[in-house]
Amino acid sequence: MSAISPQHSFGENVFSQPLMTVSENVFACVEPDYRAYMPPNSIRRMTRILKVGLTAALQCMQDAGITVPGAIVTGTGKGSLSDTERFLKEIREYKETALNATPFIQSTYNAVNGLIALQQKCTQYNNTFVHRGFSFENALLDAMLLIAEGNKDILVGAFEEITAEHFYIKSRIGFWKKEKIASNELYQHPTPGTISGEGAAFFLLSDTPGEVQLSGLKMVYKPKESYLQKFLASHELNLEDIDLVISGRNGDSNFDHYYDGLPNELPFKHLCGEYDTSGAFALWLGAQILKAQQVPANWFPMLTVPAGPYKNILIYNHFFGEQHVYMLLTLNTGYLK
Amino acid sequence: MAERVLITGLGMVTAIGDNVAGNLKSLRMQQSGIGFTQHIDTIYKDSLPVAEVRHSTATLQEMAGVAGKDGYTRTTLLGLIAMREALADAGIADASEEPTGFINASTVGGMCDTEKVYFDVINPEKEGNFLQYIDTLDCADCTQRIADTVGISEYIATISTACSSSANALMFGARLIRAGLVRRVICGGTEALTRFTLNGFNSLKNIDKQHCRPFDQHRNGLNLGEGAAYLVLESESLARQRHATVKAELKGYANTNEAFHPTAPSPEGDGAFAAMQQALAMGGVAPEDVQYVNVHGTATLSNDLAEGHALQRLFGNKVPPFSSTKPFTGHALAAAGGIEAIYAVLAIQHALIFPNLHFSEKMEELYITPETQLKEGVPVSNVISNSFGFGGNNASLLISKYEG
Repeated sequence: MSAISPQHSFGENVFSQPLMTVSENVFACVEPDYRAYMPPNSIRRMTRILKVGLTAALQCMQDAGITVPGAIVTGTGKGSLSDTERFLKEIREYKETALNATPFIQSTYNAVNGLIALQQKCTQYNNTFVHRGFSFENALLDAMLLIAEGNKDILVGAFEEITAEHFYIKSRIGFWKKEKIASNELYQHPTPGTISGEGAAFFLLSDTPGEVQLSGLKMVYKPKESYLQKFLASHELNLEDIDLVISGRNGDSNFDHYYDGLPNELPFKHLCGEYDTSGAFALWLGAQILKAQQVPANWFPMLTVPAGPYKNILIYNHFFGEQHVYMLLTLNTGYLK
Repeated sequence: MAERVLITGLGMVTAIGDNVAGNLKSLRMQQSGIGFTQHIDTIYKDSLPVAEVRHSTATLQEMAGVAGKDGYTRTTLLGLIAMREALADAGIADASEEPTGFINASTVGGMCDTEKVYFDVINPEKEGNFLQYIDTLDCADCTQRIADTVGISEYIATISTACSSSANALMFGARLIRAGLVRRVICGGTEALTRFTLNGFNSLKNIDKQHCRPFDQHRNGLNLGEGAAYLVLESESLARQRHATVKAELKGYANTNEAFHPTAPSPEGDGAFAAMQQALAMGGVAPEDVQYVNVHGTATLSNDLAEGHALQRLFGNKVPPFSSTKPFTGHALAAAGGIEAIYAVLAIQHALIFPNLHFSEKMEELYITPETQLKEGVPVSNVISNSFGFGGNNASLLISKYEG
C-alpha cells in the first residue's frame, strides 16, 4: 500500500514523522519527487492529481513486488478538477476555437486508471467509480468481488484534489468552516462546516493471507438509523471486540453526531481534511497501525490514543451525512499486502 | 453455482424516441435523430450535428414527474424518465419493496447545467438562484437524485469510464447479483449534451460535420448524442418468484484494457478482441452462434479500424451481421452502452437486425461491411454489444435469448 497525503505518509518511517498542520482550512498533499516514477516530459505534461495518483499506484505495486496487477480499480469523487476548470476557461477564453485537447482528456475520470494500465501494460479489468463518499468504497467492493471471482493481485485506490476555485465554490454552500482554525484543533471547534483536504492511496489486494485482512465492508446510503450494531453482528463481533475505531469526525456540528458514543475512537481528518475519498486514507492508516501495532506517535498530540494491542480495527466514515461506510480490519489472516 | 442474471425491464429516452417503443419505431422506420442543437450555447450549433432529445427542460421535468421542481439537471431528468419506464416495464410499482441497487454511469455529471452558470458560481460578486446547481457538477448528483426520487437505497454507485461507462455499470450490477449481495439491480447511464464535451471531442478532431458514417471508407468522426437508458437486472430466482416477464439474459461480459494510448485503440483491436472473446467464453457461446453484433462503431478513424480487425480476428470469414446504431442516436457516451444493450434485447425480442445508416463504401483495410438494410424475421438468440472508451477501456456484453 501507499499514500500521498498532506502528511509525510509516502516515504519511510511514517511512525516518526512530525504532524503537518494548516491554518487556512484547506490541506494540500506533500508531493513526492516524481522523477523516480515517470519521465520528465510526463511530469511536465500531466496535471498534479494525475501525477499524485499515478505515483501512489506505482509505489504501491513496487512495495508489493507486483509489476502487472490482475486488475486496476479506482475511485475519485471529482477527478482532475484542475483540468476540468482549465477546459471550461479555455472554451470561454478562446471562444471554442483552436482548443488544446489535453485538459479535456485529463479531465476524464478514468484518466489515471488508463495511465496506470498504459505504464504497466496491464490489459486486464479496469474500472473507475465516481460517487462522492462511495467512490473508493465501491472500487474496494469491486476489487473484493474480483478476488472472490478468482482473480489475483488487484490494484485498488483513490485520488482526489482540491483546488482554490473548488474550495471557494464549496464554501458558497457551507461545506467549510467560516472561521479559520488550526487543523490540529479541529475537534475543539464544533461549528458548521469542516476543513478541506486531498490525497491518494493505493492498495494491493491479494488472494493469499497477509498480515492485514480486510474482513468487512458495508456502504449505507442516507441511513435512517445507525447501522453499527448490524455491521458488527454480521461479523459476529460486539463493540467490546473493537480495539480501535478510526472515525471520520471532522468538527462539523451538522454531522458529527453520527460519531457520538463510539468507544476507542481515533479521528483522522485533522491529518488529511475532508474529501470524497478520505476513506482510502483511513484504510491506509488503519492498516499501518495494525501492522506496526502502534499509532504514529506525533500525529495525535491532542488526543488520548486508545492503547493496543490492536486486533480488530473498525473504520467508520461518512461524507456530509449521505454516504456512510463501515470497514473492518483484522490482524493476521489477511488480504492487504 | 452463481445465479443467472435476467433482464426484466427496459427504459430509455434518446433523440429517436421518448421510450423504448418510440426508439423501436424509429429504428424500424430508419429515422435518424441527428440534427442541430436547440439547447446548447455554442458557436457550432449550425455546423456540428448532434442527436439531441428535442424536448425543453420544462417538458422533460413533466415527463420525469417532477414538473416545476428546480435543481434537477438535464442529466438527471433524462435519467429519471428512463428509470421510471424501466421500473414500470418490469412491473415494479414500488422500488423500495425489494433491496435494490442502482449502478449509474455518467461522464460529466450535471455539466450541462453547471457550465451555464459556472462563471457566476466562481464570481463572489454574483448571487442568485444558480447556487442550487453548485453541487450538481459531479457524477453522483444525478444518481442520487434519481435513486431518491424512486426510492432505491441498497447499493448506489456511479461509474465513469468514458464511452464504456454504462456497459461497465451493467457488468458491475450483474456481478453484485451473481455474488449474492442483492437480487435486483438497475443499471445503465445518462448523458446530456454539453458545450464542454462537444468542444472536447472537437478539439480531438473527432467530430464529423456530416452525419457519421460508421465502417465506411470515408468516415470522418462521430456525432455526439444524449439520452438515458436503464435495464432492470434480476436474479433468476427473484424473477421466477414474482413471475416477471423475462426479456433476455445477460449471459456474458468482459472488461479489458488496451494499454496502448490514452485516447486511441491499438490498430489490431487487441482490447476489443479480448473483450468479445472473454464475454463469449463466459456465456459458453461459440462465435458461430452469434447472430448479431451491435458494434461500438463511432465512425472515428481509429475505432472502426480496430473494432473491424477485432471482428475479423474473432469470427474469421464468418463475421455475423453487424451494425452501429450511432447514426440513429449519436454517440451518447455514458448512456451509449445502456441504449445499445436495450437495442440488443429488442433485436432478440422482435427478430430484427438494425441497419447501419450512411454506409456506402467498404473500408480498404477490412473485408467486412456492416448490415445496411433492416432485416426482419431473423431469429436472433445471441447478441454482442460493444462499448469502448478513452483510457483504453473495452467492455463487451453478451445478451442472449432466455431459455429457462
